[in-house]
Amino acid sequence: MKNVDFATFKPAALSIVSILFSLITGGIILLAIGKNPLIYFALLFTRGMGSSLGLIETIIKMIPLLIISAGLLACFSAGLWNIGSDGQFLIGAMLTGWAAPWLADSLPYPAYLVTIAFLGIFGGMAWILLPAVLKARYDINEIITTLMMSWLAINLVTWLVKGPINDLSTVPAQTTVIPAVYRLPMIPFTRIHAGLIIGIATLLGIHWVIRKTTLGYQFRVMRMNKKAAIHAGMCVPRLTVYGLLISGGLAGLAGAGDVLAVKGLFQAGWSPQYGMTAIPLVFLARLNGWAVIPLAFFFSFLALGGEFVARDLGVPVFFVHVLEGLTLLFFAASEYFEKKWIPK
Amino acid sequence: MIGITKNFPGVVASNNVNLDLHPAEIHTILGENGAGKTTLMKILSGMHLPDAGTIIVRDQTVKIRSPQDSLRLGIGMVYQHFTLVPELTVLENLILGFESGFFLNLKKAEQKLKQISAAYGLTIDPDRKIQDLSVSECQRTEILKILFHESDVLILDEPTSMLSPAETEDLFDTLRSLRKAGKSVVLITHNLSEAISISDRITIMRSGKNAAELSGDMLMAMDEKTATNRILEVMFGAVPEPQPRVAAQHVFADETVLELRQVEVLNSQGAAGLKRISFSVARGEILGITGVDSEDRRLLAEVIGGQKRTTAGQLLYRGRDITLTDISTRFELGIRYVTEDRINEGCVIDMALSENTILQSYYRQPFSRFGILNQAGIQSFTGDLINRFGIRAAGPDARVGTLSGGNIQKFILARSLSGEPGLIVCSNPTYGLDATTVRLIRQFLREESRQGAAVLLITPDMDELFSCSNRIGVLFNGEISGFMDHSVATAENVGKLMLGIGE
Amino acid sequence: MNVFLESALITAILASAIRGTTPILLAALGEAYAERSGLLNLGIEGMMVAGAFSSFTVALKTNSLLSGFVCAAGVGLTLGLVFGILTITLGVNQIVVGLGLTIFASSMCSFLHRVIFGNQFPILFGAGGTNEIPLLSRIPLIGQAFFNQHWLVYLTFSMVPIMYVLMYKTRFGLRVRAVGEAPRAADACGVNIYGTRFFAILLGGLLASLGGAFLALGDLAFFVPDMIMGRGYIAIVVVMLGKWNPVKVCLGGLLFGFALALTSALQVAGIKISPDFILMTPYLVVIIALLLFARSTNLPSALCVPYKRGSDGQ
Repeated sequence: MKNVDFATFKPAALSIVSILFSLITGGIILLAIGKNPLIYFALLFTRGMGSSLGLIETIIKMIPLLIISAGLLACFSAGLWNIGSDGQFLIGAMLTGWAAPWLADSLPYPAYLVTIAFLGIFGGMAWILLPAVLKARYDINEIITTLMMSWLAINLVTWLVKGPINDLSTVPAQTTVIPAVYRLPMIPFTRIHAGLIIGIATLLGIHWVIRKTTLGYQFRVMRMNKKAAIHAGMCVPRLTVYGLLISGGLAGLAGAGDVLAVKGLFQAGWSPQYGMTAIPLVFLARLNGWAVIPLAFFFSFLALGGEFVARDLGVPVFFVHVLEGLTLLFFAASEYFEKKWIPK
Repeated sequence: MIGITKNFPGVVASNNVNLDLHPAEIHTILGENGAGKTTLMKILSGMHLPDAGTIIVRDQTVKIRSPQDSLRLGIGMVYQHFTLVPELTVLENLILGFESGFFLNLKKAEQKLKQISAAYGLTIDPDRKIQDLSVSECQRTEILKILFHESDVLILDEPTSMLSPAETEDLFDTLRSLRKAGKSVVLITHNLSEAISISDRITIMRSGKNAAELSGDMLMAMDEKTATNRILEVMFGAVPEPQPRVAAQHVFADETVLELRQVEVLNSQGAAGLKRISFSVARGEILGITGVDSEDRRLLAEVIGGQKRTTAGQLLYRGRDITLTDISTRFELGIRYVTEDRINEGCVIDMALSENTILQSYYRQPFSRFGILNQAGIQSFTGDLINRFGIRAAGPDARVGTLSGGNIQKFILARSLSGEPGLIVCSNPTYGLDATTVRLIRQFLREESRQGAAVLLITPDMDELFSCSNRIGVLFNGEISGFMDHSVATAENVGKLMLGIGE
Repeated sequence: MNVFLESALITAILASAIRGTTPILLAALGEAYAERSGLLNLGIEGMMVAGAFSSFTVALKTNSLLSGFVCAAGVGLTLGLVFGILTITLGVNQIVVGLGLTIFASSMCSFLHRVIFGNQFPILFGAGGTNEIPLLSRIPLIGQAFFNQHWLVYLTFSMVPIMYVLMYKTRFGLRVRAVGEAPRAADACGVNIYGTRFFAILLGGLLASLGGAFLALGDLAFFVPDMIMGRGYIAIVVVMLGKWNPVKVCLGGLLFGFALALTSALQVAGIKISPDFILMTPYLVVIIALLLFARSTNLPSALCVPYKRGSDGQ
């Protein structure tokens, strides 16, 4: 645990190299379709970081990413794979979109905020409960089950929003708009909402738990050698459920936050897929909470820039996801070099 | 093989080693653990590439780059850890890698098997799956596989380590008939008496180098005692004092620490593994338990450690019923189980020593309070362990993977011995370790028993059994076939019990 | 009149079931081999998307369905190769590679679709045809369902017994099984672990991609970004439930095909269910199937573990 500082340089370098390679490959792809990659990236950077507006937008965009990453940090550290965080996110978001309008009227503001938070967490946890139990009791692969639940969620919330929880006063299928007064408070002197504090707090909180507590220790042993964990008497099924519930709950919280702070409503067909971005992100961060922050910023900034540039240059938004996929692949490949470089 | 040199990170496994093999001979390579015998033979069988040196087969220099190369040259090796595919049948395993044609011709293979069985007297049912076979049957299959490929040279790596005395004799008979048929056999072992009884020639290795060679006539000329001493001299430079038998003064016979009453446990197949096991261990006593079946030994260890549940019977620790108690609580009570599977179960090899120290006790003070780990406490405790037990490691933060096998075992034992254990259950504790570490570990165990702990030593190694135990118990077919005091125990009568032949 | 309608409905359901099973079955057959050899291919979803997209685009541009399929085959082999190089040659974590490949392939296809077609979603006319087998298709009730299908459907189902024989009665199948169970043992016998696994994953990629191509060219006749909708992962479940045995895998695939078909049939029968609800069925079926059947899965022991010779060197 002490040799973190020296050894982190090499892994960090590998992560950065992975990103560089994916950017270069992305550039080649852009060339192939006849766009100038240099202009693309230049615009990307200037739009994303050049203006204070862009900067703030990037930070706002990275908040749900932080929270979901915190959840993934927890379960990845235990060797568990929650690939369905998008579904859990949507459930939390949907519940918030549905409940916030009338809760806001009946509860005092602080209590209302706390209730919404719990709603989001509870929604996410409820959605991952089945996969967690299936894994804990029957060792059924959680990648598949969380994915299935995720697709289930997408269709379920779409159906719900078109039906029972639809606000019929508006034409598109969506829930009632939450008045600005009842949204998340802003951080004083900025236009950034309080979600940032929650995001960084949960992220660093999980990071601390993994490194410094007995629960985190048990997670790490479980990931590195499950047999030894069982042999030592650690209750692996219980830890499995804990790990997955934490990540599900946080994904749900992220959804709640996004609706409450940014969108103010939940509409059909909206699925920002933060989870898909968070997975490579947490890997690139080498399961280190501190490293997640700059990486989340980077990915959000790519996404935001991508949206602007899409309109200007005609490069579809999907391109950002292409970069994410490439990054994950290069990162995976870099593991090979890590084994050779860092004597283990 | 001439001038073979092979380096592994941190270790020179083979240093300019020479070896020659004649047709129709049984040539034993003798040496302590770590002497480089297995590495040398793995080079011959294609599993490792030598860094330097030449190999000449039938007067032609060859390059062996893979197992396929060596098999084509007629060299086959039976490894210590079996190279059979559990899910497949015997026949499928025999033809694996050498199937003729696109479609499997099992009929032809079966005929060939019958031929070979008849020629060498080795029979086995071709349609049984490997996972259902016993250890000696697996070994027989391995030998058949090499004969199937018409090899002339058979290399056997520590073949007798998991066999009972009777099965060993069967194996030796097989080897003799192979020799009669003109085959050459290379036997790797660290068991002196076996080497002396079966070999035509002995090459002794030490620390990766040739140490000496004893040819056939020399062996004939000496009797067993002289040969043993000569070999020991070469291997160690001096004839060590014979290990003293354990004195039994400090056993508190009336204070029972562990008691099993009619314990029954299911094995991994769901069938009856252990049946009606009843015995007790007293304070200060070292009870050695042995048996041919490795799974039975493991079941016994695990049912006491808590990893396996009983289906019937009771377990009592210091009079308290622990049949339903979980692993952590048993640890709390003072039961320490040192597993035989050091790397996979006993530690987390990629974590630091300090992180491994708390594997079973992370929730206790001083290692953690209110769920928060106390780094300072863990570090100092680990450092303490390293010093007290002479573990060679860079420090408490060193990764377990950087330690040698012996030091890992020392560490695991040290961890378990801390905190005044009441019962120590160790399974095969000195397997694969060098002589010094072996002596050290046995010392630890004796010391603990002297201080009042009860020790249950479960091992297939006869030497270990005799060197430490006050009493010896034998498992056969999932039941206890007998107990005897160390004073009356001999290899012969213990061996008989292992095979279930009367008392 | 009612009887006539009912039998027509049954036939329609059967036909739809067979059609729906095909892409999943095709992918599953290939995945069975990959997993049996020790590789968990989570990139299967991406490979299906890639197959669907590439075959559709090529077929549209060249006006030839055949070239579409050929292109899909090539794409599948290429992606399988990439997966293989990363996981076999470099020995890198299979789950990460699989997820990365899926994310990359899926988003790449959506990206390219937007680039090439803009905001439109063209339909390929002439796709989705069937090849009727004379005589057999006259059998009442099942004739039209079984014997009036696309040629790829016939190919797929006839591959099932072929795959079975390949797995259990040929050299390749034996090696695949050995390599997935005990690679060290197989290596000691001289089996080429790397080669065998490469073959297995190339097969997996090829079949997955063709499965996607069928969906685009043989069933739906268009491409939308989310059209595969998890079928790749459903294929993985089917493989698991079928215990890597091609025949059982086929049965599992049929189960899903039927589930999918029944729900569409409900719509046809006039029962008012929201299409979103119907879209949920495959995933529900997967979860229920897992609950009921996946209690004891004897995974190939070397699944997900990269092999390095001498890695446990002593």
